[in-house]
Amino acid sequence: MTETRPPDRLPAPDAEPVVRMTGVVRVHGEGTGAVHALRGVSLDVPAGELVAVMGPSGSGKSTLLNLAGGLDRPTEGSVVLEGRELRDLSQRRLAELRRRSAGYVFQDLNLIPSLTVAENVALPRELDGVRTAKARAEATAVLEEVGLADLGDRFPDDLSGGQRQRAAIARALVGRRRLLLADEPTGALDTRGGDEIIQVLRQRADAGAAVLLVTHEPRYAAWADRVVFLKDGQVADSSAAGMETAR
Amino acid sequence: MSVRHGLLALLSRGLRYGYQLRAEFEASTATTWPLNIGQVYTTLSRLERDGLVSRDDQGGQDGQDEQGRVRYAITSEGRDELDRWFAKPVSRADRPRDELVIKLAMAVTTPGVDVAAVIRAQRSATMRSLQELTRALRTLDASTEAAQRLVVDSMIFHAEAEQRWLDHCEAVLARPSEENP
Repeated sequence: MTETRPPDRLPAPDAEPVVRMTGVVRVHGEGTGAVHALRGVSLDVPAGELVAVMGPSGSGKSTLLNLAGGLDRPTEGSVVLEGRELRDLSQRRLAELRRRSAGYVFQDLNLIPSLTVAENVALPRELDGVRTAKARAEATAVLEEVGLADLGDRFPDDLSGGQRQRAAIARALVGRRRLLLADEPTGALDTRGGDEIIQVLRQRADAGAAVLLVTHEPRYAAWADRVVFLKDGQVADSSAAGMETAR
Repeated sequence: MSVRHGLLALLSRGLRYGYQLRAEFEASTATTWPLNIGQVYTTLSRLERDGLVSRDDQGGQDGQDEQGRVRYAITSEGRDELDRWFAKPVSRADRPRDELVIKLAMAVTTPGVDVAAVIRAQRSATMRSLQELTRALRTLDASTEAAQRLVVDSMIFHAEAEQRWLDHCEAVLARPSEENP
């Protein structure tokens, strides 16, 4: 990639994953009421890779996603996002890194109904302090990438479920965020809408983003380069595509 | 089923040589069901014996052309048989028994077998094939014949169902061990 990085961002060598989690433990609460959401998980998500996380409810999937994007901090272990150890960052610096590096897509996407699609997508950049015109131009570019070039002037309620979710992905990607975190993004959609979303996530990974997808749908997980199964807060097993020798 | 009915279906579109039947069969099943040419000729001779196909007369001995190749045609009995096949739903009991189901049933009842490990290993393998099938589907472009897409889709749905069933097995088996460890 030839993009010029902002001077305050460390250059991330290609060999280094966008996110590296090592021995991550997350305990909610204390004493007898303590819940071990994660019990020592290590996971790398390199640029250009789509990694799916599966597992029964309560297995720690969403906790893993929140930790990877700096929405939550681990009790033990290390999370390195774009070369920065999150533990070492102040709340303010963490918030800044999170905003610049990671984009989130949830099942219940929260597009603002009174803003147009393009305004919704531009919003995170305007919050970054980017001028409105530039933020709009970036929003237009990313909307085109997710196939919504013509719908930027519509309001969220005028879109189909699949289109709304693609708009949410555009918002998560705007400003060249390299990490895309998606928690059950296909959950509220029918098969066709779900297929649209998984295709967009796949394209974003192929275009160089690191994508971490939580899903309980095997057919969507199958689009990933790697599928990690969580059970009781640990990685039970994982499967990588194309690792077997050709028949 | 039935390579037999597959060949009849292909012949219902017109005269075919054996090697053509093999190529078209594989193409329409997205090469997921490879046939060897011996199977094709064995099947053709049985179909011929049963009066469902006949040799197209090309002048030579036994209907051979000048290069010694035989072209086959579907008979009216063959068309009736094909119609019956299309009309009749496939019974689940007609399908081959599922080795995985037998393996898990045995694993559960055989002392000393780590059932959870059997499930885990299978789930990774099934997910891997689901990933490969998905990749195969992605590489089919829009011009690909619908038949091929449907075949790959079918295998994806089967793998998906197996994956869900394995999750279900894991959940069911986890319950008693929590109650009496």
